[in-house]
Amino acid sequence: MPEHAQILPGTLDLLILKAVSLGPLHGYGILLRIEQISKQALLIEQGALYPALFRLVRQGLLKASWGTSENNRKAKFYQLTPAGHRRLREETEGWDRLVAAITAALRTQPEEL
Amino acid sequence: MKSLAFLQTIANAIFRRARVEAEMEEELRSHIRDRAADLERSGMAHEEAERRARIEFGGYEHVKEECRGSLGARFWEALVQDLRFGGRLLLKAPGFAAVTILTLALGIGANTAIFSVIYAVLLRPLPYTHPEELVVGFEDNLQRGIPISGCSYQDLTELQESGIFASIGGVNRHDLTITGSGSPALVKTVVVTPEVFPVLNAKPLLGRYFFSGDEKKGSAPVALVSEGLWRSRFGGDSTLVGKSIMLDQRAFTVVGIMPASFKVPVFSDHQEIWIPIVHDPLFSAWIPNRNQHWLRAVGRLNPGVTLARAKAEAGAVGQRMEKEFPAENGGWALRIAPMQAAIVEDVRTPLLILLGAVGLVLLLACVNIANLLLARTSSRTKEMALRQALGARRGRMIRQLLTESALLGLLGAALGLMLAYSGANALTALLPRDLPSMHNVQIDAPVLGFALLISLMATALFGLIPAFLTTDSNLQFNLKDNAAHSGSGSGRLRLRRFLAAAEIGVATILVVGAGLLMRSLLTMTSVNPGFTPANILKAEVSLPRYRYSSPQQWKTFAETLLERIQAQPGLKDSAFAVPVPLANGQIALNFTIADHAAPAAGTPTTADYVSVTPEYFQVMGIPLLHGRYFAREDSDHAHPIAIISESFARVYFKDENPIGKRLMFGFPPDSNVVREIVGVVGGVRNTELTQEPGPMMYVPFAQAPFWGGNLVVKSASPPATTVAAIRDIVRGLDNDLPVTDIVTMPEVLDASVAQPKFRTWLVSAFGAIALLLAAIGVFGVMSYSVASRTRELGVRAALGASQSSIVRMILLEGMKLGGVGLGFGLAGALGFSWFLKSQLYGVTAHDPMTLALSVGVLLAVAVLACYLPARRAMRVDPMIALRCE
Repeated sequence: MPEHAQILPGTLDLLILKAVSLGPLHGYGILLRIEQISKQALLIEQGALYPALFRLVRQGLLKASWGTSENNRKAKFYQLTPAGHRRLREETEGWDRLVAAITAALRTQPEEL
Repeated sequence: MKSLAFLQTIANAIFRRARVEAEMEEELRSHIRDRAADLERSGMAHEEAERRARIEFGGYEHVKEECRGSLGARFWEALVQDLRFGGRLLLKAPGFAAVTILTLALGIGANTAIFSVIYAVLLRPLPYTHPEELVVGFEDNLQRGIPISGCSYQDLTELQESGIFASIGGVNRHDLTITGSGSPALVKTVVVTPEVFPVLNAKPLLGRYFFSGDEKKGSAPVALVSEGLWRSRFGGDSTLVGKSIMLDQRAFTVVGIMPASFKVPVFSDHQEIWIPIVHDPLFSAWIPNRNQHWLRAVGRLNPGVTLARAKAEAGAVGQRMEKEFPAENGGWALRIAPMQAAIVEDVRTPLLILLGAVGLVLLLACVNIANLLLARTSSRTKEMALRQALGARRGRMIRQLLTESALLGLLGAALGLMLAYSGANALTALLPRDLPSMHNVQIDAPVLGFALLISLMATALFGLIPAFLTTDSNLQFNLKDNAAHSGSGSGRLRLRRFLAAAEIGVATILVVGAGLLMRSLLTMTSVNPGFTPANILKAEVSLPRYRYSSPQQWKTFAETLLERIQAQPGLKDSAFAVPVPLANGQIALNFTIADHAAPAAGTPTTADYVSVTPEYFQVMGIPLLHGRYFAREDSDHAHPIAIISESFARVYFKDENPIGKRLMFGFPPDSNVVREIVGVVGGVRNTELTQEPGPMMYVPFAQAPFWGGNLVVKSASPPATTVAAIRDIVRGLDNDLPVTDIVTMPEVLDASVAQPKFRTWLVSAFGAIALLLAAIGVFGVMSYSVASRTRELGVRAALGASQSSIVRMILLEGMKLGGVGLGFGLAGALGFSWFLKSQLYGVTAHDPMTLALSVGVLLAVAVLACYLPARRAMRVDPMIALRCE
């Protein structure tokens, strides 16, 4: 089993948006998808997922609709709204910048000063 | 998009909460089921997998609660929760709830009712298109002391040609006798030029209004009939248009029916017939006369013409006319004023005063409720401290307390609106007479908005301080049992004392205001009108000019009528007069004094003209000061004479003896009759009770007859008997003559003070409510003070303080409170009475007697309010007091 990383506060929303951007999913599916795309490195606290989903729907970034799951059960599927797409793009760029900056900062050697 | 989603979630949260809950449940369950299935697939036993899935998921109910929070349903849910809780609290303390809600309802209801009148009168635009373009025109002559009068026909024509008005017409009013189609009656007639109708957006119910052709000399007489008269007299006959009706025994063709809502503004509340000026028996003769300033103008400005420009241009026209016609227009200035302002002028200040007074009542109600709420804080404080200890945020608790206050506020508003609704009709007495009738007082959207606004403001006012104090976060203090003895408790008492003092202050303002108005009314009603109204009745008889066309006929009619009346038992003291003081309008006429230097500039040269039969002065009880009364011998063949009033003699003859002097005046067209003064009589309040008697000139009716006038009868028999006798005699003389405007002189006097009386009554009622509220406030604070000092009082009693000294101590405390409030209140009252000044008669705004009386009343109320608490303090049993810790 790979080592689990604690997810940073505020990044759960970004991960959900990313997961859903790859195709409509129901709640449990999102959980699995995040684990899958993070190569099992990120572990989501299951109970925290739903409040985040409800919040994203309220913010108009996700759209929820009832459909049938792969095992033929009624399930609530989430997909990105245009606003959600926009937000994902912005957040991803922001994240990249942040990571680049922090990485650069952490790699700094004494002689570079 | 986002807001739509937001709205939808809120809608879901409120209206489809059950469905949302079910869906949430299903979503979360299916998650756990899926997870369990996955775990089972990875080799776990069924039960174990399910258990594990549930554990991994975390606190199920907690997650649901968090989801609900994310849904944004918190606000509404919390509101519902708070309202429910607040409602339960109110039910648990029904006395408190009833007192607060009733107090608020009174305050809000009274404010809403008064505001509904203010809105109808001062704020709502007149019901015409572009009401801001509507103006009235008039003239004044300050050199002669005439503040407001009409324009001459020629001046009106100049205005019409000035180019600043889209249209402007002239109006005046008088009464005509309608005969045929029912019993003869006097109808309120407005004489107009045709421009008036388009200016006022008139739309006839049937037929047409007047056009310029109807104004031509020699055109056929036409008339418009009001909807009211059409229904009452003609039974709503739709074929009336085109038929003729008899006005003053002359046939007028009805060309249209005007709807009940139509009224020509500025004078007259009641209008039944409109006719063109040229066809009026009286006014048509005045048209060519530049000297007659008699037409009020009603006009609409051209679009883009400002009021300032219109005023300036009208002023310029006036100056030009003055230069061109110095004899007729000397001193006359043309004025323009906005129509709405002209209509509401007289009632603006009184209404604003009422609004101020009623606003103070609401303020007082709020302070009172704040005080009551503060009294409950000590018990609520513990509850709040406990909740705070359990993790509630302060903002949330303040919100809860404010929601409770708002619940009170809204319940008060609802009850208040019901009060306002039932009271608004009674307030129509406050309306100016000229308000267009479609403009009635009603509880409509803006008024409802006002009620909601003030109830929310009131809520904030009485709810905020208690809410902040109750949630004061000094936890340990509040959790300890003895908040009343702790520092914060005494601070609260200080605040409550301050509020009670403020209540006394506000009540002082209202009591002083009401006192001033009452004294003013008393002075007004006890003023000597210059005649003795007791047992006098007057009735009007008007002669149609087309049947009674000559002055000789008018004289003969009046003399015959009077002779027959006087022959009746008990009706010996009768006279005939035009006009009667206070009951009719005045006839102000120009006069010149023969062989006399012209009076100083600025002295009016008009006096009120009255034509009377010789008996008039004795019947009315107007005393003779010099010379003699009129006599039978002063007939139309005799030498023309006049009697002047005391103030006429004082102003124009000063130290000279006026008897034997000659005046030149007369009712048009006989304006230049030279008359010798034969007597001086006492002054009479002719226009209003509150107006000092002005100069008056009397002439013998025989020498200056009118087409009708007033029978003035002094009789000890009941009015109904007298009236029946008068009607019989008039019918005996002419079957087509109406007897109208029958009223006793005491009623006339009453009616002349009806408006101030009603307003005084209202302010006094507000003052009484204010006193009651202040008394409750002081009582509450003093009771609280005594209760919280039980131990101290017990110690005092134990140490030998006498009961009377304890009572004295409590009363002194109350007096201190009252004194501070009174101090501020008197300062405020002086400010308030400054606004009252224009409404006061015979009392100064800082009348010492009223102030002293008000102070006395307030102190008495304060003492009374302290009495029960003081008694309780006196009865404190030292043993119980000491043990109660």
